[in-house]
Amino acid sequence: MKNKYLFGGLIIVIFLGFMAYLFTQSNIKYESDFAKVMKEQKVVKATGSWVKDKSYVMDIQNRVFSFYMEDADGHQMKVVYNGSMPNNFASAQSIVVTGEYKDGCFQATNILTKCPSKYEGQNVQAVKTSNL
Amino acid sequence: MVGKTYALYRKDYHSELRTRYAVNSLAMFIIVAISVILFSIGNEQITQSLTSGLFWVVIFFSAMSGLARAFVSEEERGTSLLLHLIAAPSTIFSGKLLFNLILVFCMNIIIAVLYTALFDAFIIRNFALFAVSFILGNIGLAVASTIIAAIISKAGAKGTLYPVLSFPILLPLILTSVQLTLYSNQGSSFADAKFELAIVLCYDVIMLTGSFMLFDFVWKD
Repeated sequence: MKNKYLFGGLIIVIFLGFMAYLFTQSNIKYESDFAKVMKEQKVVKATGSWVKDKSYVMDIQNRVFSFYMEDADGHQMKVVYNGSMPNNFASAQSIVVTGEYKDGCFQATNILTKCPSKYEGQNVQAVKTSNL
Repeated sequence: MVGKTYALYRKDYHSELRTRYAVNSLAMFIIVAISVILFSIGNEQITQSLTSGLFWVVIFFSAMSGLARAFVSEEERGTSLLLHLIAAPSTIFSGKLLFNLILVFCMNIIIAVLYTALFDAFIIRNFALFAVSFILGNIGLAVASTIIAAIISKAGAKGTLYPVLSFPILLPLILTSVQLTLYSNQGSSFADAKFELAIVLCYDVIMLTGSFMLFDFVWKD
């Protein structure tokens, strides 16, 4: 009788742990090939860089921000984001947008920017020598 | 044990046929809820994620309206003492669970058929995925609602207590099932839905072991 509760408790603990682990897993995949992003039409995290030559639009009244992104192979796509332009957007090395390709443009729900670090080893060395 | 379980199921089936309480309340709820949703939508185009959410809203509340009968009816008719005498707790739970499982499956198949017939956005594109997630979700729903029905059957104000207690327990199941229904409507493959399927499977295993362990204490009182 006691074994029954021990065994059952063990099963519950194991499966609860497994379930908690599964809940933290995200189904959204990173995709760096925009040709695939345009074809598959499901929610992905597209990584690429901002095309600075092409114009971008920041509509403050409707809070819509749209710009062009480019992947490593040179595929370009238009990204539309409902919200304002992130602060460090202009200095970003690469951008990760979460969303889905629909009706000719990428509808982003979230923008992550990857910025060059301020604290780099070489610079520190340079500053030190200049101070001396 | 299997024979007694089946006998208990037969008893519930026949007493249900005589009163038709659970079946009638389920049918009325499904008809009212779906027609209200249909009228309020009108000619509006609604998205697939909204339809799969509405699908599980109807399933959740119709389960709440019908499934508590399994144990509440025993208390109301004063027959629970007799059940104590004739069978072990786990046998009683299996019998009630079998009855609720069949009720849940019938109810949800009807809801699914009505949804596919009446809603334009509810098109099952990956039928195998839908069937697997539907079966797993229904088992979880039946197990959870049976053990909660046993818990509340001795309390007063059963009607309100039942959905209130069920909500936090059923929430992970409902949320993942909504996502799975959305996947099967979008025509995603099994590989896309593997995390959700595993979550629902874990939920079923946890609820089954948990309720068979806890039912002894609930019932012995």
